[in-house]
Amino acid sequence: MEQIDVLSLREAFNRQGIVLCFNGPFSASLIEEIGLALRKHMASFNASQSAVSDVFSVYIEMTQNIRHYSRQKELTGSDAHAVLIVSRREDGAYVVCSGNVVEAADGPALMARLAMLATLDRDQLKLAYKTQLRQPHDPDAATGAGLGLIDLARKARAPLLGTLKALDETRSFFSLCAVI
Amino acid sequence: MQDLIVQGNESTPSIHAQWQEGCLAMWGDSYPENPFELYRPVIKWVESFLADSERPLMLRIELLYVNTSTIRSLMEIFDRLEAAHGKGREVSLQWWYEEENERVAELAEEFREDYLFPFDIIAKPESSV
Repeated sequence: MEQIDVLSLREAFNRQGIVLCFNGPFSASLIEEIGLALRKHMASFNASQSAVSDVFSVYIEMTQNIRHYSRQKELTGSDAHAVLIVSRREDGAYVVCSGNVVEAADGPALMARLAMLATLDRDQLKLAYKTQLRQPHDPDAATGAGLGLIDLARKARAPLLGTLKALDETRSFFSLCAVI
Repeated sequence: MQDLIVQGNESTPSIHAQWQEGCLAMWGDSYPENPFELYRPVIKWVESFLADSERPLMLRIELLYVNTSTIRSLMEIFDRLEAAHGKGREVSLQWWYEEENERVAELAEEFREDYLFPFDIIAKPESSV
């Protein structure tokens, strides 16, 4: 088995300003616990209440989106795992990234949705948000990422960045980064 | 109809719905995965109060962080107030927030834009929650 190089992991975390990193199965209670730790951690940097609130809310929407998705798709084992990384850039911005396995067929729709959101300005995003809020809620919607994704786009200071990599014929890995 | 009392925790708010007083209070954070389970009885309570009595209904809200699914549930509640207001019923809402927590004020303001019933957003000068 490969030897775990803790020091080089630590150096990579420090270099990239990573303040929180998780990889594994997310339960509802784990989301809560890590979220509270994140809030306390940010408070210790004297982050503003608004910054704490924005980062926390992006963290919650991302992780709950993934939970809803993996439940709808009945993903099990490592396919239901999620990666969550919160980093703090030198300019003081926070970057929240998540990653999870998606069905290959869902990937392009997600990427198209991100591309569409990237074309909207603040007012258009607000309108999209309010329109989506009034849509009949379909708990079985294909990606489950309707309102949550628009909310992320509204909280981010730059367009959301998504990447999609095929794992095999039926599964892809989707990652999403938001700069707050 | 009876009072509805829900004890809050880290991710769910405390809820006190008092039938005699005609008052529904909700405070704390609200980000459960399935908020509808939490809010369904509240929506039901509001519906009953508006249907079974003629008295004014007052909402007092001190919610802090809410997830988007919670926002859907709150909208369901506020929509019922709006419908009652449209029929001449006395309903009102006060949303209290700590002055330094501007995200809460923005959240409340976005709700207020969509409604005509009396909706006050009130800053509390210092942290007392």
